[in-house]
Amino acid sequence: MATLSRKNSNSQAPAFPNTSSPARHFGPQQPLLDSSLFCNSLPSWPSRLSSSAKKTWFQQPDPYANLMTRKEKDWVTKVLMAQLQSKNPHLEDYYYQKYYEKLEKKADEEKHGQRNRVQSPKLVTPYVQKAEAYESVVRIEGSLGQVAVSTCFSPRRAIDAVSHGTQEQDPAAASSQKLRVLCKIERMFLPLLEIEEGQKDGLPQPCPFGQQDNQVEKLFQALKAQEQNNLEEIADSFLQVLSVRKGKTLVARPLPFLLPDQAVSLLLVITQHLPLLIRRDVTDQALHMLFKPLGKYISHLTFHKLLQGLQGLLLLPPGSSENQVTVVLQNQFGISLLYALLSHGEQLVSLDSSLKEPNRDRTAWTDMVVLVAREIARMPTASLAEPLAFPSNLLPLFCCLMDKQLVQQLEAKMEVV
Amino acid sequence: MNYMPGTASLIEDIDMGIKLRTFHFRGRHSATELNPRPEKHLVLLRDGRTLIGFLRSIDQFANLVLHQTVERIHVGKKYGDIPRGIFVVRGENVVLLGEIDLEKESDTPLQQVSIEEILEEQRVEQQTKLEAEKLKVQALKDRGLSIPRADTLDEY
Repeated sequence: MATLSRKNSNSQAPAFPNTSSPARHFGPQQPLLDSSLFCNSLPSWPSRLSSSAKKTWFQQPDPYANLMTRKEKDWVTKVLMAQLQSKNPHLEDYYYQKYYEKLEKKADEEKHGQRNRVQSPKLVTPYVQKAEAYESVVRIEGSLGQVAVSTCFSPRRAIDAVSHGTQEQDPAAASSQKLRVLCKIERMFLPLLEIEEGQKDGLPQPCPFGQQDNQVEKLFQALKAQEQNNLEEIADSFLQVLSVRKGKTLVARPLPFLLPDQAVSLLLVITQHLPLLIRRDVTDQALHMLFKPLGKYISHLTFHKLLQGLQGLLLLPPGSSENQVTVVLQNQFGISLLYALLSHGEQLVSLDSSLKEPNRDRTAWTDMVVLVAREIARMPTASLAEPLAFPSNLLPLFCCLMDKQLVQQLEAKMEVV
Repeated sequence: MNYMPGTASLIEDIDMGIKLRTFHFRGRHSATELNPRPEKHLVLLRDGRTLIGFLRSIDQFANLVLHQTVERIHVGKKYGDIPRGIFVVRGENVVLLGEIDLEKESDTPLQQVSIEEILEEQRVEQQTKLEAEKLKVQALKDRGLSIPRADTLDEY
């Protein structure tokens, strides 16, 4: 019926060239008809179209409509939506999430207080149960020169494969040791990232918080390598981690999450081995990233611990010719840390009256300060590094323990810095 | 759902058209009972061809079924349409796809010519391009340089 009416209608009506003969020659006539289909009939619409033409156009049922059934359309939509769903949208769809948060914030600001604020549209993926995907191809490692995959079609070849790669049994060769340290750092990064994720996602509720604490503890244990009972070895492995740039970031990042005790112990280890770390940091120059997180924990140090740390740093180990203090003062991180520690010590001394009495600790402290002050005065200003933070109570500290001349020298030096 | 990903956004386009136009026909309730008019789409393919047709069906890879397709060739300010019939386009070859605003379609400054003319124009254009290219290559060769040949590179 529809076809008949079409064949008899005027040239304005759309013609379907394909319906009658498949082997139609598309001569010069044809394009005119087609162009009328595409160009002439429709542009003269809506306002200029005569009412009769409107009617014919409109009442032309489109026989090719709904070639795609509702079911098929829904299926395509479902497939595409299923691809998008994810367990962790903040990780997998970061930019869209941030953009949406921004939109919501803007909408909140604009319609501040209004009840019916326009809900910005959001892509909501329907939950589609993902089928359990099985590994159809098994890859075999360490099969150099042989077939490395075992599939459904060729399962047997797996038997001929070489057994799993033997563990590296290199004794502490320099390169493999570095690799081992790097591997260790990598492994510790994953729990760190999880902790940071958990922190970022919002306020910690009681239940996950406990779990987070657990994770933090585990990370700390890993850092300190508590399996080894020897104190030396613990410090050693920790220092190895710190000698690598990545290790420094690894230590700097979780510091805010650690318990104060744990952080303090880390701080002490770092202080005691400061010259060594500085020496190893020559190529990376990355120690400064530790300063801010460590700085927060300096105030947790007790006087005794502080003294211990500084003693470890400043007292010359037997056999070393170089002055530790010099090395520390020449490095930016070193000098900043030293200043911060001294400043904290001074605070503790001034606050705690019991320490004012001369006792062993007090004398040790005084000696320490004198040593540092002498060193600063002795060194040429140019080689003193610029500290990241300059505490204000250092100069008065030196004042009361030194003689005038020395103080003047110090003043000159420190003012320049 | 307001935003649809990928080809799902085209689903609405396939059998739509009437919803956009009902406002012109206030009072003509009969309009909505009829089959809605599909929307014309313009598809740009990776090999540079431009196809215009009614989009009838899609799938998740953006494979398209175009009905009453016309291949439009543009040369300068002229263009020509070659009717091609039904096209099934593999999704990976589609560069972009857009809906044609039928009202604005007539407002083009371009001039439509017959097929032979446009093909002739195209041939002339290709020839001038080839010659310019040849001159360039020759000039570079004289200076001891060379441009890698286009067919050894990835297309587009």
